[in-house]
Amino acid sequence: MALVKDGVIWDGVENPYIPGETLAIDPSLRLHSEVAEEIDPVTYEVLRYNLWNINEEHGLTIQRTSGSPIAIYAMDFNPSLLTENAEFIYYGPYMQYMSGVTDNQIKWTMENRGQNPGIEDGDIFLSNDPWVGAAHQQDVTVLCPVFWEGKLFCWVANVLHHYDLGGITPSSFCPGARDVFDEPAPFPPVKIVERGVLRRDIEALHLRRSRKPNLVALDVRSQIAGNTMAKERITGLLERYGAPTVKGVMRKIIDDAERSFLRKLRRLPDGSWREQTFIEVAYPGDRHAYRAVVTVTKEGDKLIFENAGTDPQVGAINTTYSGWRGSILTALNQIFCYDQLYCVGGAVRHLEFRPTLGTFTVAKFPASVSSAPVQGMETSLNLAQNALGKMIACDPELKRDVLCICGNNMFATALITGVNQHGERYGIPLLDPMGGALGAFSFRDGISTGGMNRTPIGELPNVEYNEQIYPMLYLSRREMTDSGGAGKYKGGNGAILTFVLHDTELITHSTVTSGAAVPTGIGVFAGYPAGTNGYGLLRGSDVRARLGRGEMPTDLVEIAGEPVLLHPRQEGIPQRRDDVFALWWGGGAAYGDPLERDPEAVRQDVQLGYVSPAAARDIYGVILAGGDLDVDAMGTTGRRAEIRAERLAAFGRRPQEREGVGRPALMTVGEYLKVVDDGAGKVYACARCDHELGSIADNYKLRCLAQDRPMTAASPAIGDPARYLDEEYVFRQYYCPGCGGLVENEVTRRGEPPLWDVQIGAGTLRASPRATDLGSDQ
Amino acid sequence: MAYLCGIDIGGTFTDCAVVDEAGRIVVAKALSTPGDFAQGVVNAVEAAAQQLGLPLADLLTQTAALAHGTTVGTNTMVQRSGAKVGLITTKGHGDVIHIMRGASGRVAGVPLEKILHFAESSKPEPIVPKPLIAEVTERVDYKGAVVVPLDLADARAAVDRLLGEGVTAIAICFLWSFKNPLHEQRVRRLVEEMAPRVFVTCSSELVPKWGEYERTAAVAINAYIGPTASRYILSLEEEMQSFGYQRPLLIMQCGGGVMPAREAARAPLLTLDSGPVGGLIASKYLADTMGCRNVIATDMGGTSFDVGLIHDGQPVSSYVSVANQYRYFVPRIDIKSVGSGGGSIVTIDATSRSLRVGPRSAGAEPGPACYGRGGSEPTVTDADLLLGYLDPDYFLGGRIRLDKEAAAAAIGKVAAALDLDLVQCAAGIAKIVEFQMADLVRKVTIQKGYDPRDFVLFAYGGAGPVHAGVYGRELGAQALVIPLGDICSVWSALGAASSDVLHIFEQVDILDAPFDAARVNANFGALEDKGLRLLRQEGVAAEQVQLIRSVDMRYKAQIHQVEVAVPEGELGPPELGALIDRFEERYELLYGKGSGYRGAGVQIESFRCRAVGRTAKPVIAELPAGGPIPSGTASATARDVYWSELGQWQRTPVYWGVHLRPGNEIVGPAIVEVPDTTIVIHPDQEAKVDRFGNFVIRL
Repeated sequence: MALVKDGVIWDGVENPYIPGETLAIDPSLRLHSEVAEEIDPVTYEVLRYNLWNINEEHGLTIQRTSGSPIAIYAMDFNPSLLTENAEFIYYGPYMQYMSGVTDNQIKWTMENRGQNPGIEDGDIFLSNDPWVGAAHQQDVTVLCPVFWEGKLFCWVANVLHHYDLGGITPSSFCPGARDVFDEPAPFPPVKIVERGVLRRDIEALHLRRSRKPNLVALDVRSQIAGNTMAKERITGLLERYGAPTVKGVMRKIIDDAERSFLRKLRRLPDGSWREQTFIEVAYPGDRHAYRAVVTVTKEGDKLIFENAGTDPQVGAINTTYSGWRGSILTALNQIFCYDQLYCVGGAVRHLEFRPTLGTFTVAKFPASVSSAPVQGMETSLNLAQNALGKMIACDPELKRDVLCICGNNMFATALITGVNQHGERYGIPLLDPMGGALGAFSFRDGISTGGMNRTPIGELPNVEYNEQIYPMLYLSRREMTDSGGAGKYKGGNGAILTFVLHDTELITHSTVTSGAAVPTGIGVFAGYPAGTNGYGLLRGSDVRARLGRGEMPTDLVEIAGEPVLLHPRQEGIPQRRDDVFALWWGGGAAYGDPLERDPEAVRQDVQLGYVSPAAARDIYGVILAGGDLDVDAMGTTGRRAEIRAERLAAFGRRPQEREGVGRPALMTVGEYLKVVDDGAGKVYACARCDHELGSIADNYKLRCLAQDRPMTAASPAIGDPARYLDEEYVFRQYYCPGCGGLVENEVTRRGEPPLWDVQIGAGTLRASPRATDLGSDQ
Repeated sequence: MAYLCGIDIGGTFTDCAVVDEAGRIVVAKALSTPGDFAQGVVNAVEAAAQQLGLPLADLLTQTAALAHGTTVGTNTMVQRSGAKVGLITTKGHGDVIHIMRGASGRVAGVPLEKILHFAESSKPEPIVPKPLIAEVTERVDYKGAVVVPLDLADARAAVDRLLGEGVTAIAICFLWSFKNPLHEQRVRRLVEEMAPRVFVTCSSELVPKWGEYERTAAVAINAYIGPTASRYILSLEEEMQSFGYQRPLLIMQCGGGVMPAREAARAPLLTLDSGPVGGLIASKYLADTMGCRNVIATDMGGTSFDVGLIHDGQPVSSYVSVANQYRYFVPRIDIKSVGSGGGSIVTIDATSRSLRVGPRSAGAEPGPACYGRGGSEPTVTDADLLLGYLDPDYFLGGRIRLDKEAAAAAIGKVAAALDLDLVQCAAGIAKIVEFQMADLVRKVTIQKGYDPRDFVLFAYGGAGPVHAGVYGRELGAQALVIPLGDICSVWSALGAASSDVLHIFEQVDILDAPFDAARVNANFGALEDKGLRLLRQEGVAAEQVQLIRSVDMRYKAQIHQVEVAVPEGELGPPELGALIDRFEERYELLYGKGSGYRGAGVQIESFRCRAVGRTAKPVIAELPAGGPIPSGTASATARDVYWSELGQWQRTPVYWGVHLRPGNEIVGPAIVEVPDTTIVIHPDQEAKVDRFGNFVIRL
């Protein structure tokens, strides 16, 4: 039965579907649950390996046979293997959130399709309804029950992004959609294959919506081929080892993953960790940004996730419950379950989701959700990643698994549409931003253009691939200076590309991103935010004349023309023959205070073009000499002391004598806070100078010196948000009043109270945060 | 007399296989001489000459082909000891080799466990640092048309700057150079004029494929290993010629043939991944002799397990290669590896309390615990010893003495932690490694649309015949063949000696169906001209030339292609139509009935011509037959062996392989000791020595 709670029916119609405690399954559908008591360690290992391989092969089959460039380059698909009652066994290593949405779709199907039209051996279901459980309508889920001796043994499932399923914008990402009725129609699960035969009527229904039905037909076949392959392989295992043994191994994989998860969880203190971000421009012409919040609370063996504090659903930035939960599972899987081959099923047993309905991260019908993966979902992933990262940083061993927010964290979507040089229509987002960048770790730098964690093995296409199928000529594609966040450990750099038309008169652009006005690559423990995404357009430039003269200009600044400000959500932008288009994506976020970065590393960054000399001086406090070839060590030490003193001076203070340095820490909270006992109770103290920062029952930021600085101070690769937004957004820094050391940063709206990002200690917690904890002024 | 001579340089021994016109094979070994490998080669050839009763010079002057597989390039990559490389690219695109197509640079060739754990994942140390990349003004488009002509002054300045930086090799890759190579060729000439001693390589000549990252990676690696590898190859050739050899030295390449030294010195990239190819070519040669069309060739050594396929008489190819996480596109014999070898280390997964085997290996140093060289971690070889598979006094023909107590101590730790007894634990280790190998074989067969039941399994390498009985049975292969006799001990050298000369020419030209026959014929014509010209230059007689055509096809917009064979001669609409049928047939074999969809449109992406210069082939002489019953000297001893399938120890006969004769039959359970390995024949299996001295085991 769908969950009913606080008067809300989570039915999958008006509201997102959330299964209740027990599933209401028609008695005609019998489940296989017999488990072998004893499984020897050798059989276990052999079958474990086999099950993982089957799922991986399932993915390879899709990759080889899909016709969609998005599927192929962006690896925008993922297979998964689930038990008969839809517990996760394995995710594939492809698009992560996609697997996170399959379990509830299976549960819905079992509750709603068991009696009519029935779930039988040889059937396969197709679904793309975000309120039932799809991420967005283009992510078509194909669910295949595996039967053994008349009983449902397990499920193999996959999700694949289909090229175009209709809606008002080619590609079906509809940035200007008013609601879901402007978008591809959501299909609740329908039976696409009946007892082994593809149903032509259902297939035709699905294809008829599409601008590219032939490609979508290949996609459907590719998904079915993947399911069929996996099902046959599993059936082979059942014949050989017996169903109870295979089921026993499946259960044990999940049980083991659960134990591993709990072992890690138990190293951590109880508490709440919270992150917020601002997602800009919900519809074309909008000049506002919207707050999203994720709070994770650890209570004993349980993690509770909430989105309270997130703004109401609006425009086309929304996601449903499934996207929010699937994104959180992605972050959780990568942080906790990498050593269990991403078996998140064990962890799921200890998770509780408390969604606030009607917010833009848990939207009601009929909100626009076709852009969910690049809007509300990425937002949720980023927030969960930072909140969980700050949580695990409380343990010195788990701290190594902190991964700061990655590059292109809000996909820098540049949709191009038109007719290509071969006379064919196209409508597709450029996939270059798949190059991404990894955020920093707690012990080393992030990785420039190292991809994205949400798709661990996704790639960007070669320039030559794009030029072959789209009428474009790249002037350049390069890693971008200063786009990685500045920190003790730097975020990886993103990249920038520029192109002109080639063999066409027109490309029509639409833009959809966030993190172009307000940075969304938020750093951890005083790490600076990454550079922003952005679009550039030079109209009526001299580029053709320059090319004709045998010159090869590569950067916008080298080319004369009229710059046009493109908004992060703008449709129907024409690019003509004399226009140059540019697209860039932010890099990874940073970890730790940039003034603590090894000056020699900064010198190398400058030499390689990853950091500008200006940022080296102003943000890292590193003075270079000899044509930037050497570090001026004395100058650097002086410059860094000067920066700290300037911070204090702005508040009329001077660096204090250090008081009681070295008081033993009861616990370290991140890099710059420690918990000490001051005799009256547990208090925070500056890890650098021991200056007390208040009781752990309170927000330490209230005891820091808070300075609002212009957003552009965080990086030369961050532009002024006022170009796009009416409210003022600031880069807020929290300094220790004792030593002037940087404790934490925030990207926030002017006038907002400090975000209470870390609350340590059992008993002092409330599961639901108060508005003031969120820095909300309501 | 014309001899064929194959050389393989291993870590310890340099092997030499000489085949005379009658097919007689002489094998010889000499110690490898690191630092100056040529010395070891000369010594090995000399040892062979002695056996033939000839002076070295006489053997070499009468040698029609001297073929050699080299690992110099591979070692240079592994040790990261290559040249200081300068890279010249199209202006605006100098970061291609640093971007590495994003995540691909982190994950290509990396084990899954590391991919899933971001904190362990990284791009490689750059093979060309950013300051050594020079962008040059020029631009060609997708049609091959020049958008911006090459700016020679700019190019000259770039070369000047790189030379000033002290580079010893220069790689050139421009956008779309495979459609129009003129700019690359011009810059190449420029480098040759300005710095004749610098190694120079350009992408349109080395790898004319679609995709600038993979092309750039290929030329950069070629340049990186170029100076070292080419120096080695050319000086070895010179040395052999100074001893009387009169023809070009032939070098083994990853595509499955040999190429003349001068070609190899220009494209040492093609020697990467060629290591296991010799073994596969030897397998093909033996398979041809035995009349097997389909073979799964498996090689299990100390650190890895390699699998290659021969299907319908031809080695199966792949088109993607990875070196140090750099990916590039070169057609090569598809050999897949996993870290399952005799030295694979056994660990316990704390969470599941289960056994894990590999991928970490104890290698040769310190080696398995039983080697007694300081290794204390349990390995597969330790388990094999405890099970009685191995004889502590006759491991590798007695060259290494095994310490059973050390093995028991190492495995005992793991067994105790899992509450298993020692033997159960050892048997479990063997089973896991055998299943891992079976899984890898499934990946290269079933996942590629081949059914292992249609194949004969070959097993070689030190640890292969110990475990093949089980993974062969798992796969349901028709039979298991253990190549034996002298040829087995110089298997890769024999592969080199039996290789044809091979040059692979490719042209990317994306065509939509229905295909333009004139263009198809023109493309093949041009490729075949190149192949014929080169083979002629190399002195291959016209009647020995074979030109094999194929195309890579796909449904429009897919990136994964299927290679389809193309008939020779002028092609018209009927032949081209049949091509589409063949493509769909193969596609459905790979991906399942009904997975194809012609409505999506069919494309050819590339045209390929394998230009083969057939060399004389050795003939394995048949041995005199004996009866079914092995002689008394062959079946002298017995020892206790633990058989998992029986769940018990059993006194098991042990045979000396060197004394077995064709026709001899052995019923399992049994052990056969041969100098380089041990053959384990399980209960219910039967082995027979064939007329060439190989073991054929009915599974």
